[in-house]
Amino acid sequence: MRLDALPHKQGMVVMACYMCIGRFMLVAAMIGVVPGKAIAAPTETLRVAISTDPDTLDPLSSYLPISSTVDELLFDGLFTFDAKNNVVKDLATDFTYSADGKILTVKMVTGRRFASGAPLNAAAVAASFNRLLDPANGSIYLGLYKFLGEVKAVGDDTVEFHLTEPNGHVPFLLAGSAGSIVEVGAAKTLGTEFSRHPVGSGPYVVKDYIGGERFTLVPNPNYTGPRPARLEKIEFVTTPEDGSRMALIETGDVDIVERVPPESIPTLNALPHAAALVAPSMFSINAEAVLRGPLLDKRVREALNISVDRDGITKGVLGGLGTPSVGFVGPGTQDALRKTFAPLPYDPQKAKALLAEAGYKPGQLSLTVTCPVGRYIKDAQVCQALQGQWQAIGINVKADVIDRGTWLKTIGLPPEQRKDNLALVGRGTAGMDYTLYRLFYTGVSTNRTDFSNPRVDELLTKGRATTDLSEQARIYGEIQKIIWNDQPFVFLWYQNQVFGVSKAVSGFQARLDEVMFFDDISVKR
Amino acid sequence: MFMLKRLAAAAPTLLVVSILIFFFVNFIPGDPAAQLAGPNASNEDMAVIRENLGLNEPAPTRYWRFLRGVVDPSLAKSFRTGRPVALEIAERMPKTLALAFGALGLGLLLGTVSGVCCAVWQGGFFDAAVTVLSLAGISMPIYWLGLLGIWLFAVNLGWFPAAGATTPLHFVLPILVLSTRPAALFSRLVTANLLEVMGKEYLDTARSKGLSEMRVVLRHALPNSLVAAVSVAGVQFGSMLGGSVVTENVFGLPGLGRLLVQGVSSSDYPVVQYSVLMFAVFFIAINLFTDLLTQWLDPRTRGAA
Repeated sequence: MRLDALPHKQGMVVMACYMCIGRFMLVAAMIGVVPGKAIAAPTETLRVAISTDPDTLDPLSSYLPISSTVDELLFDGLFTFDAKNNVVKDLATDFTYSADGKILTVKMVTGRRFASGAPLNAAAVAASFNRLLDPANGSIYLGLYKFLGEVKAVGDDTVEFHLTEPNGHVPFLLAGSAGSIVEVGAAKTLGTEFSRHPVGSGPYVVKDYIGGERFTLVPNPNYTGPRPARLEKIEFVTTPEDGSRMALIETGDVDIVERVPPESIPTLNALPHAAALVAPSMFSINAEAVLRGPLLDKRVREALNISVDRDGITKGVLGGLGTPSVGFVGPGTQDALRKTFAPLPYDPQKAKALLAEAGYKPGQLSLTVTCPVGRYIKDAQVCQALQGQWQAIGINVKADVIDRGTWLKTIGLPPEQRKDNLALVGRGTAGMDYTLYRLFYTGVSTNRTDFSNPRVDELLTKGRATTDLSEQARIYGEIQKIIWNDQPFVFLWYQNQVFGVSKAVSGFQARLDEVMFFDDISVKR
Repeated sequence: MFMLKRLAAAAPTLLVVSILIFFFVNFIPGDPAAQLAGPNASNEDMAVIRENLGLNEPAPTRYWRFLRGVVDPSLAKSFRTGRPVALEIAERMPKTLALAFGALGLGLLLGTVSGVCCAVWQGGFFDAAVTVLSLAGISMPIYWLGLLGIWLFAVNLGWFPAAGATTPLHFVLPILVLSTRPAALFSRLVTANLLEVMGKEYLDTARSKGLSEMRVVLRHALPNSLVAAVSVAGVQFGSMLGGSVVTENVFGLPGLGRLLVQGVSSSDYPVVQYSVLMFAVFFIAINLFTDLLTQWLDPRTRGAA
């Protein structure tokens, strides 16, 4: 209910009621009872088997989904993502852009504290962002966030972002795990140990951390926010081997396992005490083309696209753990701006005709496709399937299945240094501007395919600057349509994620960015 | 004197090992900066990371820094976690040593007992059974045996936990699995050596004194046949350390082997370099120890030193 929509007198009455309620809540909070938030002290433990350790829990450099999962529990942000991956206010209560779009002013809640007891105010928020922006701290997100420019505290409840350029997507970026608010004093004091015992203001704190084995979170005693801890303890156990991880849920040693291989789903579903949870993911898996040589010709790219049997591969190779693409951008990237299209047809005959039209007789065109092994679901097998389907239309295809390190190095090379023609890459980054600008804006170093389209550049520039959501939807809709039609990638599918979940657990959600979402979780044994 | 000589010989060995480790580590596929930054990072971000990690420095400077890290562990930090590598190794080393010594000890015990039994009851059912089991123990990949052990003892029988390292019980299954190879090897070795020793004249002397056959075997024959086994145990310890890499991954044991695998897969050069150096130090130390033990067991070898 908006107060300014009511007649003056009625508005005053409502205001008086609100003040009464507010005073009651203040007194209640002082004696430790908050209406509507009063929950009994949590008593249950949740045990989660994960496939890999978080490299670090410091938001400066964490990028794995497991790190983001934990960071969500340890930190607050000005903004955050809800269970559906929508940006929602967290510490922020309101925000406004200046007329020139270069200053973002964020109002925030007051009275909160970090787990250490230090006050969480605007100065602390500004310090946290300035830590991120200080090159000496070596954040992997520096390049992405440096447009935030200078971050200043104005009083206790206002943070000002003096941007280097107008940007209408700041709340989206601030919602990412890099935008988590850390206690800078603790970071300085703890030094490198901060990566394992970071201090934030979220509902949990790290109790212990044994590298490579397990780490435990317990409720933050100083937490007074809207998402109090629902569990007495969350234990994360690192078990890299798939078979051993599955054994842990089979024996009931853990309540949740992540990264369930497709072949283990029937076994899990046959268990009396657990089942597989298959959830969509924003990871858009594509074969990204290096737009040089034969792949400069759109007919060749189209031939590659329409000769892939997406339904066959997602069912036969992925065991159903993929949804054929209907647009480059995966679900949950920023759904308000996302556009989908009719699925690409599977038409090998037309593909052959297109190749002939482009001047390639059967066997005349040779391509190399690079794939990682163990990075995406059945990636090596997918590579072989693609090789087979492209060979079926008369292309000589060499499938280079390589380890993750070499693959990362290869896809990180500038296009002129690439020796391959296509690479299997999954993109799963929140935010339309972030996802599209770095991949398709002419000349930026993250544009690894050499894609260049003046209209797309113009739209990306406009889309970045505008703060109007409907205008953003129009702009990004057009960009997505151009990309879908131009086919710089062989669009494949959106990967699904699979968890094994004990029947004692309820309220567990797998977010589209592959973060495990524990805000509504409960365990009843 | 012997020990001093061996220690003096260990120093150049370690220096050569350090040079090899340093240069071979650079052949690990991938770029540490790309691994750290992930697939979405820009070239500019990666250049900053590369600079921060000191990867742009010339090889001799990096090697010197690597050597300085041996003397001052606070200088050697993991690319991946930013923590001193010494801390990471110190946290994990006890688990690897428990696993390696446990498996070697159990392997020696099982191998010796079964070897003695096979020699005493040569050609019988027990001998045949142990021969088959030994062959299986030597041939079976630890990875497969580990998964089989989990399926049988953890999932079906529920005797042991499937993975982890929280309690001593968590170590039983990995130690059992890792001990199969040394047990099989020692069994064959002890049997062969014991059979050779059993024909010696000094045992007839012992028998003629009226000693029981059991006493003859255990008191007089076995110590002599164990000399070779002790020498092999030193080499086997190296295998245990190598085997721990696989075993720790299968059982989710956070030891040095797992740290090494993580280091290789994330191109974390300092972690790989110091972990391998640590393996080398332990290998040299255990070989020194077995040499001393051999000398104690067999006085004839003292002169050779």
